[in-house]
Amino acid sequence: MSRNLLPQHPVAPRARNPFRAALATAISLALGFGGAAADVSREVRFSRDILPLLSDHCFACHGPDEKGRKGGLRLDTREGALGRGKSGETAVFAGQPERSELVRRITATDPDDLMPPAKSNHRLTADQIALFRRWIAEGAEWGRHWSYEPPVRPTVPQVPGEADLGPVDAFLRARLRREGLEPSPEASRSDWIRRVTLDLTGLPPTPVEVEAFRNDAAPGAHERVMDRLLASPRYGERMAWDWLEAARYADSNGYQGDSERTMWPWRDWVVDAFNRNLPYDLFTVWQLAGDRLPAPTHEQRLATGFLRNHMINGEGGRIAEENRIDYLFDQTETVATVWMGATFNCTRCHDHKYDPHTRRDYFSLLAFFDRTVVDGGGGNPQNPPNLAGPSPEQSRRAAETERALDEAARAVAALEAERFPRPDGKPASESPAAKELPRELQETLKTAPRDRDPSRIGTLASHWKSTAPAYHEALEALRGARDRRNAAAWAIPYVMVMDDGAPGRVTRMLERGNYLKPGESVPMALPAAVAGNRAVSRTNRLDLAEWLVSRDNPLTARVTVNRFWQSLFGVGLVKTSEDFGLQGERPVHPELLDWLAVEFMESGWDVKRLVRLMATSAAYRQSSRVTPTLAERDPENRLLARGPRFRMPSWMIRDTALAAAGLLSDSVGGAPVKPYQPSGVWEEATFGTKRYEQDHGESLYRRSLYVFWRRIVGPTFFFDTASRQTCTVRTPRTNVPLHALLTLNDTAYVEAARVLAARVLAAGPDDDARLDALGLSVLGRPFTKDERTVLSRGLDRHRRRFLGDPSAAAALLGVGESRVQPGNTPAEHAAWTVVSGTVLNLDEALSQE
Amino acid sequence: MNPIQEHRQLLTRRTFLGRSGTGLGLAALSGLLGRADDTAASAAASPTGAPPRLPGLPHHAPRAKHVIYLFQNGAPTHVDLFDYKPRLQELHGKPVPEGYLGGKRFSTMTGKADGKLLLAPIEPFHRRGQSGAWVSELMPHTAGIADDLCFVKGLHTGSVNHAPGISMMLSGAEIPGRPTLGAWLTYGLGSECENLPAFVVMTSVSKGTSCGQIFYDFYWGSGFLPSRFQGVKFRGGGEPVLYLGDPAGIDRATRRAMLDDLAELNSIKLREHGDPEIATRISQYEMAFRMQASVPELADISGEPQSVLDLYGPSVREQGTFAYNCLMARRLIERGVRTVQVMHAGWDQHNSLTTELYTQCRDTDQPSAGLVADLKQRGLLDDTLVVWGGEFGRTPFIQGNLDDRKRWGRDHHPYAFTSWMAGGGVKAGLTYGETDDLGMNVVKDPVHVHDLQATILHLMGVDHERLTYRFQGRDFRLTDIHGDVVKGVIDS
Repeated sequence: MSRNLLPQHPVAPRARNPFRAALATAISLALGFGGAAADVSREVRFSRDILPLLSDHCFACHGPDEKGRKGGLRLDTREGALGRGKSGETAVFAGQPERSELVRRITATDPDDLMPPAKSNHRLTADQIALFRRWIAEGAEWGRHWSYEPPVRPTVPQVPGEADLGPVDAFLRARLRREGLEPSPEASRSDWIRRVTLDLTGLPPTPVEVEAFRNDAAPGAHERVMDRLLASPRYGERMAWDWLEAARYADSNGYQGDSERTMWPWRDWVVDAFNRNLPYDLFTVWQLAGDRLPAPTHEQRLATGFLRNHMINGEGGRIAEENRIDYLFDQTETVATVWMGATFNCTRCHDHKYDPHTRRDYFSLLAFFDRTVVDGGGGNPQNPPNLAGPSPEQSRRAAETERALDEAARAVAALEAERFPRPDGKPASESPAAKELPRELQETLKTAPRDRDPSRIGTLASHWKSTAPAYHEALEALRGARDRRNAAAWAIPYVMVMDDGAPGRVTRMLERGNYLKPGESVPMALPAAVAGNRAVSRTNRLDLAEWLVSRDNPLTARVTVNRFWQSLFGVGLVKTSEDFGLQGERPVHPELLDWLAVEFMESGWDVKRLVRLMATSAAYRQSSRVTPTLAERDPENRLLARGPRFRMPSWMIRDTALAAAGLLSDSVGGAPVKPYQPSGVWEEATFGTKRYEQDHGESLYRRSLYVFWRRIVGPTFFFDTASRQTCTVRTPRTNVPLHALLTLNDTAYVEAARVLAARVLAAGPDDDARLDALGLSVLGRPFTKDERTVLSRGLDRHRRRFLGDPSAAAALLGVGESRVQPGNTPAEHAAWTVVSGTVLNLDEALSQE
Repeated sequence: MNPIQEHRQLLTRRTFLGRSGTGLGLAALSGLLGRADDTAASAAASPTGAPPRLPGLPHHAPRAKHVIYLFQNGAPTHVDLFDYKPRLQELHGKPVPEGYLGGKRFSTMTGKADGKLLLAPIEPFHRRGQSGAWVSELMPHTAGIADDLCFVKGLHTGSVNHAPGISMMLSGAEIPGRPTLGAWLTYGLGSECENLPAFVVMTSVSKGTSCGQIFYDFYWGSGFLPSRFQGVKFRGGGEPVLYLGDPAGIDRATRRAMLDDLAELNSIKLREHGDPEIATRISQYEMAFRMQASVPELADISGEPQSVLDLYGPSVREQGTFAYNCLMARRLIERGVRTVQVMHAGWDQHNSLTTELYTQCRDTDQPSAGLVADLKQRGLLDDTLVVWGGEFGRTPFIQGNLDDRKRWGRDHHPYAFTSWMAGGGVKAGLTYGETDDLGMNVVKDPVHVHDLQATILHLMGVDHERLTYRFQGRDFRLTDIHGDVVKGVIDS
């Protein structure tokens, strides 16, 4: 048996809950990963070795939360730990473990003295106790949590015998050396191009692209592929998906009613920003404070839609201020998660139990968003402030219909001047001639023609139908013009954005987050534990945004490069990409993370450059094959002794199937689309108030990014996605039977198999050539001999069946709305459809490998 | 053990340990867990893809193996159905006396409650059965099984709005994002059913209900637990599970042949590549295939004798009705499903006490009582816990105008409400807890939502303080940091 990465620890005896004890042990083992516990010769480092123990086992009662603190002792500050406590004892006596109350208590035999108390289910191991002793003996050095220290560019390690390694690989390889592991061999060219094309565009490479790469013997072939992918408009669409999940983007409000909204011009802006490689610092500033920039452009204001993607509650009886406060909570917590990897939601009601964030920090951060005039009432999805985002065509149409309405109104006004004579400046209703008309019509005539309600114009028109045809006609024309003008105006999407229209608003700390219990007022301020004493100068969101992307912010760059790493490698360098606090995971490769963070900032926050660094690394180029050794030593592949392999996100699976079939539309942006979905899903969820009207034609084959997202009942053809209700930066990756039912039976997938089959049939004269084409289209490689045997056998079986049952063949070929390509016998086409469906459902087809 | 089983076991444990930091402690831990609970280790090797139960669970001998939660969305009016208050009759039309409302918060529809007029129960009440429980004439069938029920009259909650209230009741927190009861139970106790999900949800609403509440999927969500623990919602019309039917032109034999090829190809890949996830994929495709048969079999009620169907009332044959869903609930637990959540909307009588409340009762009374009776006659009630109730109660005072009887209503009332429980180790024929003489506040044996949750978990053999999941650095549980088991309702 090969050496395990971790030392064996004794199990806590008589733990109350074996599962929990096991979990706690696992966590402490994990924290000791390659760390001090394994190696007594290494010095004890506070932030790496001691702080996690204090946080896990002590902070719940002796941490930052003042109200929850026991015995007046706090162990989260140096003063608290090293000072004299309420009892007169000193918890940590630097240099003298035997004089330290902490040591006495964690080793106590009397259950009343023992810390952590038995009922907490926490228990320190002998190794952990030894660590505390050594740390104190060595002087009880103090420090901060690793992620609050600004990243400093570490020296790139020299790996003996590996002079050519780039920095990313040097860090990883040095670690593998320490662990006694070898990297895996390079992946085949077809595997790598499929992996990188999926990661950077969310689509598979075409057979032509695979062949070109396989035959490109000149140096720099990998880099040329990267250049092509990064320049593709598909790149921005792929990157936008993850951002939309973080931004809780949806096309409806959520909650009862779930009215539609039109935030999609913001979504299109995100795609475009990634495609033109808008530096991440500007990407940040514009989305958080674009409206606060001097003379902001339309684009900069549009970007602030990020903050307004929160749900809106239109439930009857909701209190407007309560809603408004909920939106502020959402904005605060979203920004904390996305830029700081901070779980600020904990501090809404109380000081954080583990991280040095306080309720005051929470509401000071919230104060930045509190100056925007948002009405919390009702469910208007275009809740001001908002911004019109018309397309050029929509602008033209709006102006045109406005002119037509003017003309029609003038024509009616002229006729009414004759028909209803009255003094100048008076409405037609004042004319004696109007007094004989029914009351309702008189009401209508009070309003100038241009401003009349269309249905009232209609009633007025019908009154004159037989008696005054010319007037009737002019009114009908007016009604039409008015309808067309309204339709054109309604077609223009309005995007909810930010402003600072309520500069004088005072933000108060709310007791337990309850809007009815306002307490002390707080000014805007940056989170003190991270920002130190950095003051805000302008007191608006720009202060916050600029601090987030300033060089001395320790979190933004780390949190961001980690998310991109997660997108490419499947798991972040910090697995808890949403939590960089004390209870989050510590990075597996801390120096690599810091190096990348510094590199990212110093490159001018160049996202494409960062992605290229990762994707051209040797680590990323490795084969992902799992050897028995690796399965045992590193089942989650955190050390990257092999390439990444994981099941693709469900949206990517759909796009991949459409692309392999040649069905995928390459249109970019615009209003969301409604592809195939089983009938009745919206209706059932909304008691029939929302009907799903499926689109037809090209809209069925648009990229998943453009699918309409109804917040209370998301698209049924995705799984393991963010709910789009609150900020999500990491989605689960599950493996359940319902996924199989989807990709086996959904119309979109069956149609993709049918169209793919026709492509394959046209690709060659015989089964062999056709199987090659099928393998290349879906997997980027031809099938092996063993695979061909299985597929050929299946093909024959399906052929026989469909030859004997022509109606079944016809039925299968009738699935989906696209035209059936002519020239194939139905049985042959149907048999290949089943085989294509089989291949689209292969684990390899569903995975990036 | 063959390689697939071995991989399967590896993966299951890995999933279970998925949040243990880097996860690199796996090898050390797998040995450790094997020692901790050998049975769990073998459960973990389940080749079907069904979730295993956690080691150490159940924490104690369970009284119930299944829960059926008959959730009444919209908040049934406790003072008109179960919590009989003759004094409301006496004070009908009079303002709420002082001392009952101090500082209480209601929805904006009521605003300030001062000066509100009390409203008598709209139908007479009677004592029923040996136990003498008070039940309104609105619920004749429930009255008929009163001796099988335990009425909990001292429930109270913190929410005045539906979605947060329901979220509180089902997940222990007002804000969506926590795992729900059924998800916790599946996570802790695993699945005992190879052909169906362990946690199934069905929804319905009475016809003609003007104000239905929407069913959000977080009502059966898994929150931060892995999504394989979330409830699987069976749909009220058409296929109970989406994408269940084979496409046109694909018959069962073709599907089977296709899956055989798929399994063979995936096995080739597994041998070559070694990723244990491929083994899981194979087993999940097989489960999908079995569900394609088991779900239609489940939904086929042609074998149910008329006498059984009659128990559930006239709409039992109509897919999507509460009655149909109650029958399905029984069929699901018979097949080993652990948690069934049947949700029925339309209890939000702001202005429809004298109209739509009758429809609500007609549509739910007989099916609920019929389900309990049916379970009892089959001997299933002993290990099945049935819970009936909503997210809060309704105000003892009127919403609307006293002169306009047709539009009488009651507003949301979180301070006291009634639920009933049956079977699964609960004392039958008991009324537990008491409200004041107006049904306004709890005066004896209060039961908070978290207490009810703690009790349900307890009956299922789970200690609510020990079934935890670490998320964002904190050990979360269904009952947050609260909850006491209500010992008084447990049959000893």
